Amino acid sequence: MDPLSWAEIITRVLTQFLPVWVSIAIVFAVSITWKRKLGLYGKMFDSPIGMIGFALVLFWVFTGIFGAMDLIVTHDSLGQSAFMKNEVPGTPLRGGDESAYPYYLLGGDNLGRDVFSRMVDGAWVVVQIAPLATLFAFMVGITLGLPAGYFGGRLDTVLSFLANLILAFPVILLFYLLVTPEIVETGIPSYMATVLFVFPIVFLAVLLNSRYHTRPKLRTPLLVLVLGLTGWLYLSLISQAGTGVEVLPQALDLFDVPGGILVVFVAVVFVNSPTVFRIVRGLAMDIKTRDYVAAAQTRGEGRWYIMLWEILPNARGPLIVDFCLRIGYTTILLGTLGFFGLGLPPESPDWGTTINDGRRLLQIYLHPALVPAVALLSLVLGLNLLADGLREESLRD
Amino acid sequence: MKDKYDGPILEIDNLSISFFTRLREIPAVMDFSVKVMPGEAVGLVGESGCGKSTVALGVMQDLGVNGRIVGGTIRFKGRDLSEMSADELRRVRGSEIAMIYQEPMASLNPAMRVGKQLMEVPKIHRGVSDKEAYARALQVVTDVKLPDPERILQAYPHQLSGGQQQRIVIAMALMAEPSLLILDEPTTALDVTVEAAVVDLVKELGQKYGTSMLFISHNLGLVLETCDRICVMYSGEAVERGSIADVFDEMQHPYTQALFRSIPLPGADKAARPLRAIPGNFPLPHERPPGCNFGPRCDYFVEGLCDEREIPMFDVKGSDRHTTRCLRFEEIDWHAPLSGVEARDKTEPGKVILRMEELKKYYEVAANALFGRSGETRVVKANETLSFEARESETLAIVGESGCGKSTFAKVLMGLETATEGKIILDNREIQDTSIEDRGAKTVSEIQMVFQNPFDTLNPSMTVGAQIMRALEIFGIGDTVAERRERMLSLLDLVKLPREFADRMPRQLSGGQKQRVGIARAFAGDARIVVADEPVSALDVSVQAAVTDLLMEIQREHKTTLLFISHDLSIVRYLSDRVMVMYLGHVVELGTTEQVFAPPYHPYTEALLSAVPIADTRVAKEHIVLEGDVPSAMNPPPGCPFQTRCRWKSKVPGNLCETEVPPMRQMQDGHQVKCHLSEEEFRGMTPVIRIAAE
Repeated sequence: MDPLSWAEIITRVLTQFLPVWVSIAIVFAVSITWKRKLGLYGKMFDSPIGMIGFALVLFWVFTGIFGAMDLIVTHDSLGQSAFMKNEVPGTPLRGGDESAYPYYLLGGDNLGRDVFSRMVDGAWVVVQIAPLATLFAFMVGITLGLPAGYFGGRLDTVLSFLANLILAFPVILLFYLLVTPEIVETGIPSYMATVLFVFPIVFLAVLLNSRYHTRPKLRTPLLVLVLGLTGWLYLSLISQAGTGVEVLPQALDLFDVPGGILVVFVAVVFVNSPTVFRIVRGLAMDIKTRDYVAAAQTRGEGRWYIMLWEILPNARGPLIVDFCLRIGYTTILLGTLGFFGLGLPPESPDWGTTINDGRRLLQIYLHPALVPAVALLSLVLGLNLLADGLREESLRD
Repeated sequence: MKDKYDGPILEIDNLSISFFTRLREIPAVMDFSVKVMPGEAVGLVGESGCGKSTVALGVMQDLGVNGRIVGGTIRFKGRDLSEMSADELRRVRGSEIAMIYQEPMASLNPAMRVGKQLMEVPKIHRGVSDKEAYARALQVVTDVKLPDPERILQAYPHQLSGGQQQRIVIAMALMAEPSLLILDEPTTALDVTVEAAVVDLVKELGQKYGTSMLFISHNLGLVLETCDRICVMYSGEAVERGSIADVFDEMQHPYTQALFRSIPLPGADKAARPLRAIPGNFPLPHERPPGCNFGPRCDYFVEGLCDEREIPMFDVKGSDRHTTRCLRFEEIDWHAPLSGVEARDKTEPGKVILRMEELKKYYEVAANALFGRSGETRVVKANETLSFEARESETLAIVGESGCGKSTFAKVLMGLETATEGKIILDNREIQDTSIEDRGAKTVSEIQMVFQNPFDTLNPSMTVGAQIMRALEIFGIGDTVAERRERMLSLLDLVKLPREFADRMPRQLSGGQKQRVGIARAFAGDARIVVADEPVSALDVSVQAAVTDLLMEIQREHKTTLLFISHDLSIVRYLSDRVMVMYLGHVVELGTTEQVFAPPYHPYTEALLSAVPIADTRVAKEHIVLEGDVPSAMNPPPGCPFQTRCRWKSKVPGNLCETEVPPMRQMQDGHQVKCHLSEEEFRGMTPVIRIAAE
């Protein structure tokens, strides 16, 4: 078989992404039809910048999801082929079995793995970790930032000092420390996970209790249900055989997160939450001077109700924008971690690892490093554009 | 540069301005004409959203990206401003037309010394030397009556008080000796006594420099005091135009009449001259009715006539340039007495509910929160020995300017702060040391508050109904959600809002409607004491009357004690039974409304009364202008708090005023005044506000 021409490669790649195109088209069609009823999300469809960003983000989200469902990938992203080492894009497959996809669309890397499939699978790693890690960072930042901003005084001074301490520490060094095997063995990352992942539960519990404490009949079952569920998830998440934290019997352990991923998760949450803390603190200090907060105080509302139900919802605009930006930073952080081979397994198809693998032969073969680099770039760019669009539209009316 | 020109300085002809949003074109000003002659001051009056500021921006040719002039011309000294190039406009702005905005801090560069900012003006427009510019700056600063001009020129804006900042802004506008000065609500952000001084200054400078002025305001009283002519705007159109005397005394448009009937005058109370709110709401710019814009709210509306076609301006015969936009102005009997408003009986105050005894609230201010122990702590005396009683179904007004301690007092009463000393007794229970967390739901629901800023009083991300229901929940009213919902709907009925509003978000409501929701929320737990912190000062005049009436009506029905905090003496006179005047944390005068509004006065009350702009040409006021600003509560003067600004100080022998806080003097029938003045001096005081005999 002949190698594919560039036009053929592009056509085949585009065809391969067919489910992604269809999904994006559906999301856009539905959203634009109802955009006047969708609040800020709908308004975003008035901004070309926002739409381009959203399209880029959706592309990678759907690529990740469908990739994991085996709809897009052409080969096993870990499968090596001795014949395909460093082959250029469009090279026909040699030595594979008959049913396999006949080409390495974007070439092979130094171990003969399909670059295209690794890129698609790399998207799944990002889609799995980045939004969730950012969400956790937000929960931590919000749970600490609201009281710091609302109460002020010594609590604020101490918390802000801690946040500054973390922010002042070199990030890369922190990562190295957290994922060094010796440190992992001491259990520090596991303990940190234990602490950091408590925050979402605390957040939910306080959120619901402050709202419904006047209606015990509704409150008590609701809290039991929510706390039971999240508590179980929490224990499954942190409980890890062989580490310092082993609290749940194996039978009840719902899932096991690979140790490396958990460490990555902890690291990302740990370095992101101080920044979120500062944003939330600033917003809380501003909003607490409003009359509706005073009104809540004068009718004897609890402090947490005021923070979570009077202040937080009205800080959502800047927080949503920051959330988008922060997913981008997290994606870059993940890339950095992968690039330095920290946390994630060495075979992992994530973009940072792939870029690092490709880097060694960069002067001879460009494509193994270029493809994941472009992927990373376009996702982060998409997130930044989306945040820009949201910010712009939230200010207009 | 300044050529001689004796035609009209500003001539606006059939001006129309629209803003373009992504949904539609919004006409902000339609068919607007006005003429400003040299040395003349023209007032532009209207409620918010009527387009008065847009006219000013149109004159400055500064409408932003969305705004455009869609018709008519603006001529400045005979030249069409819209035909000028950007370069020419730049030369005109600041040098020939100057503008003064509402918020002084926003008009000054915070990173530049005041002197430098002032000197920029002549340096840019006339290219003069530094020395010359400095001399001019010094002179102008002296002209605006700022003390110690050299020091002021060296100061940064944040080192000056609000009143001083506004004087600097005025000075800056006058630096280039403009022919036209546009003032956009120049005193709204200032306190009453400071406002009076600034208005005085503007008037005086206008005469001195011969500057023409376009004075934009929502306050009819201010316009009466400063302007020669007035133009009343409604919903983007000028509805009546004429000299002050013509418009105030011989009004020819129903809106102008309704506006006057909806503002309280300090000469009258609720029994003598009931307010009449304008029914209905201000139309949104894209939902204006056909024909007369005021039609749907007008008492004289005739179907088939008023809503048929666009209405032009008509000249009123036998007057000087008096015009009105009303088809029926010749048929209407403008002197017919007000009908349809029944004067209400005064409610008799019941037993004492709330008593304050020698209440004190001090704050300690440390230099640094974390390492504060080493630094000295300063004490701010926010409230000094407050003593008074409030009875059931009584309205007690608390009057004072910013920093007088009225908000602190409200906080202590509500339990957001605890008292430093003294007692608050509610039904024989002492509550001064119980913070709100420790008060029971019943006590909390009994003392509630209505807030000042309608745009801030409701949580923007919760529906109106949910917010009222939350209050009910907290107060423990109703057992089920359905019960509470029923009660919430009846509360909406109480404040005369349609029940559909329960599911609306606050941003869909107008200012007055939001304030009604705020009132409904305060009365959710059958409050017995309601603290109303300037509840109507941020509302438009026509809405103010309606909200005030509503508040009084609910008070009458529920026998509520209303503590009405305000700086607006007109409204205080209108609705309160007793008045308490505060200055720098002290109660300086306390008595029934009649006692406080008639001599003998405390010197501060006297100045306050003189400062209130009154929209009535028959009223003659004694002219008292207070020097300087309210001293900082961090650093109050020794002795009498008011001694630094008091004009009676010389009448007290020795330096008593500077050394000793005056005792609370009992005048007649419970009237109390905190002053060192002798009996004879008090007896010799004359009334500040006099209504000329008709």
